[in-house]
Amino acid sequence: MLSRVASLVYWMARQLERAENTARTIDVNAQLVLDLQSRQAADDPKSWEPLVYVTGDQEKFFELYGKVASERAVIEFMIFDKRNPSSIMSCISAARENARCIRDQLSSEVWETLNTFYLKLKSDDYPRYAQLGSAVYLNHVKTQIQLFYGVADSMIPRTDLWWFFDLGRHLERADNTSRILDVKYYMLLPSLHTVGSALDMIQWASVLRSCSAFEAFRRSRRGQLNLERVVDYLLRDAVFPRSILFSIMEAEQALGQITVSVHHMEDNVPARLIRELRAELEMIDVPGVIADGLHEFLDDVQNKISDIHNALLSTFVEYPTGSAKVLG
Amino acid sequence: MSDLFANYEHGKFYDEMFASPGKSRPHYRRLYERFGLLENMAELMDRQRTADQTFIDRGVTFTVYSDNAGTEKIFPFDLLPRIIPAHEWAHLERGLVQRMTALNMFLADIYGPQRILKEGIMPREMIETSKNFRPELVGCKIAKDLYVHINGSDMIRDEAGVYSVLEDNLRTPSGVSYVLENRQVMKRVFPTMLRDYRVRPVENYTNDLLNLLLYLAPAHVPEPTVVLLTPGVFNSAYFEHSFLARQMGIEIVEGSDLVVENDKVYMRRTDGLAPVHVIYRRIDDDFLDPTVFRKDSLLGVPGLFEAYRKGNVALCNPIGTGVADDKAVYYYVPKMIKFYLGEDPILPNIETFLSGNENELSHILANLPKLVVKSVNEAGGYGMLVGPHSTQTQIEEFRAKIIANPRNFIAQPTIGLSRCPSVCEGGTIEGRHIDFRPYILNGETIKIMPGGLTRVALRKGSLVVNSSQGGGSKDTWVLNDDVTNPPMPVQEQIIV
Repeated sequence: MLSRVASLVYWMARQLERAENTARTIDVNAQLVLDLQSRQAADDPKSWEPLVYVTGDQEKFFELYGKVASERAVIEFMIFDKRNPSSIMSCISAARENARCIRDQLSSEVWETLNTFYLKLKSDDYPRYAQLGSAVYLNHVKTQIQLFYGVADSMIPRTDLWWFFDLGRHLERADNTSRILDVKYYMLLPSLHTVGSALDMIQWASVLRSCSAFEAFRRSRRGQLNLERVVDYLLRDAVFPRSILFSIMEAEQALGQITVSVHHMEDNVPARLIRELRAELEMIDVPGVIADGLHEFLDDVQNKISDIHNALLSTFVEYPTGSAKVLG
Repeated sequence: MSDLFANYEHGKFYDEMFASPGKSRPHYRRLYERFGLLENMAELMDRQRTADQTFIDRGVTFTVYSDNAGTEKIFPFDLLPRIIPAHEWAHLERGLVQRMTALNMFLADIYGPQRILKEGIMPREMIETSKNFRPELVGCKIAKDLYVHINGSDMIRDEAGVYSVLEDNLRTPSGVSYVLENRQVMKRVFPTMLRDYRVRPVENYTNDLLNLLLYLAPAHVPEPTVVLLTPGVFNSAYFEHSFLARQMGIEIVEGSDLVVENDKVYMRRTDGLAPVHVIYRRIDDDFLDPTVFRKDSLLGVPGLFEAYRKGNVALCNPIGTGVADDKAVYYYVPKMIKFYLGEDPILPNIETFLSGNENELSHILANLPKLVVKSVNEAGGYGMLVGPHSTQTQIEEFRAKIIANPRNFIAQPTIGLSRCPSVCEGGTIEGRHIDFRPYILNGETIKIMPGGLTRVALRKGSLVVNSSQGGGSKDTWVLNDDVTNPPMPVQEQIIV
């Protein structure tokens, strides 16, 4: 397929996945704040500030909104602000624009699902969010993105178009899960001495809920909610769709589909990088990782995902034409 | 029971539907009988709403540049079709084939021996000062000796009902996607009527276009790759580009997707560089290759011109066809037909004055308030003066422009374009001015889609049908035969 089209569909998937994860994270935080109301006022900046760190856009946030991360500022920044390229609004509008550029490749249903969602979302603002309540509003956003995935899943032929879409979605998801884990870990550290307390339980449950993993965790691991077990689950559960390992495995498969019939691409850099990351995740010793510093480990995972991303672009999209394989 | 057309105003214009008040032309009789009753107006409005909603759902839109948000708008669609009976179409078809043949011969001549200049039929200066003449191509061999592949000639009917050609569009004529979409919608809204009328289908167009493109491929290529080159998603005709690519199953590419290596064109794919043999380009010459034409163009492909000259890639339309749709060159088309074919033109031009000709210049300057003045290289209704609808200041502005650069303008009398009943806002039916753009494909043979884009000036009294100026469109029904509709009385037939 055309490199530009591959890049557009890959980014479209990343943008949609990012928007969905942002919606999940905000949703869980809003609920957590309700649970913690006895201790903290709902608009206590400490309740909202960590969210800004999830996206890694804290500098941009403090530049735009000043030092105090009030609930309203964080919501504006993460959902509606077009100046923030990772806001839900920015992501959905970029994904829709990408889809418009490849409309000739998408079936009408796929395009119309995203287009109608965008057209409704674009006039929304904070007052509307506040009026509906976070749960209702964010549920709508999540549902619309899920609806798009459903339509795409049943409509897009399994050509490279699909596999680049799948690749983008799972790399973004792996990255997002690692960020959620990182920030929650950072948030929760000060209260580690309260191990086993009700508060601790609520907070670790919220980490899982950010990834819609709470119920799945309960069924699969049947045990206590604690740091090690939650980290282990989100890092390397082999069957939970939002774990980092699972997402990397999916990305690896998608990439394999793209190159399976292309003889001169059997050994490519991104495939090698993905393989290495997958092997590393499969073999890690979670207690050891926590002892050595989970933050550093997750940082390293994020860097590796970013290396894979860059390798994908330079292998399939921005390669130098002089040395490129000439086909047919 | 009252007549829906009881208050229909005929005016002094040729009316497509009515020969005289209350008396419909034979080929409109069936439509008149079906919809002539006032009780049917609500039903008609219902169907109009269904049609409008269908266009919104399908996203049949164009982008309006003047709107800084790049808003996508729907090209308004008018439900009442324009109907062309078979014998009338046969006449149009003969005329358009003749015109296309002559235009192709003219271009071959201009980029070849230049007989028409040497024999003094057309002044050499006319070609050499044309913005769209490409001297780089003189003497260059072009695929299959076809110098123009697609023409969308704009046609009108005057007060007497005579069809004439208003201008030719030989570069990247647009609008055909609306013709195809209009018919799709019409099939949903008026299914039985279409069947009863035995309307000729237009669907074959994309198939004919693809065949034409494949025919142009370099001879040695067994399975040629065809792509459509677009300026991108912000272009006003992007919908059409993506529609045509989808219908033909070809790749839609932007300039940055293409690279030239060793004078061959490739598209940049994820698995490497894949050869491209035919480009249906929807970009003007100026922007095609920044190494030859406009240096600042980001839309084109460096090296494309050389690949084209060497015959490694075919372009549709070829480079340099624009010299024949210069509005001053248009003036010479009837002479071309006579010169190359030894025939009289079947379809006349509009009477045209060249301000480049001394004696015609004085006529133009003396009659500005009565004339339509057009800048020779503008399209889309821009850069023109409609004398009767202009203020004294506007007229004086144009006078100064014409005197400063006479080569750049032509003038034509104001023509009262024919009118066709149209569904107007507020639920009335009124006559609105229309024009017509058929699409002519010049490949192994010349093929003309039976139909075309009928544009309608939806604003009351307006003569400007361009979409950028508030125009809409109608479905055009070319009838299969005249059996279901008796032939027109003699006085209504077109007399050449």
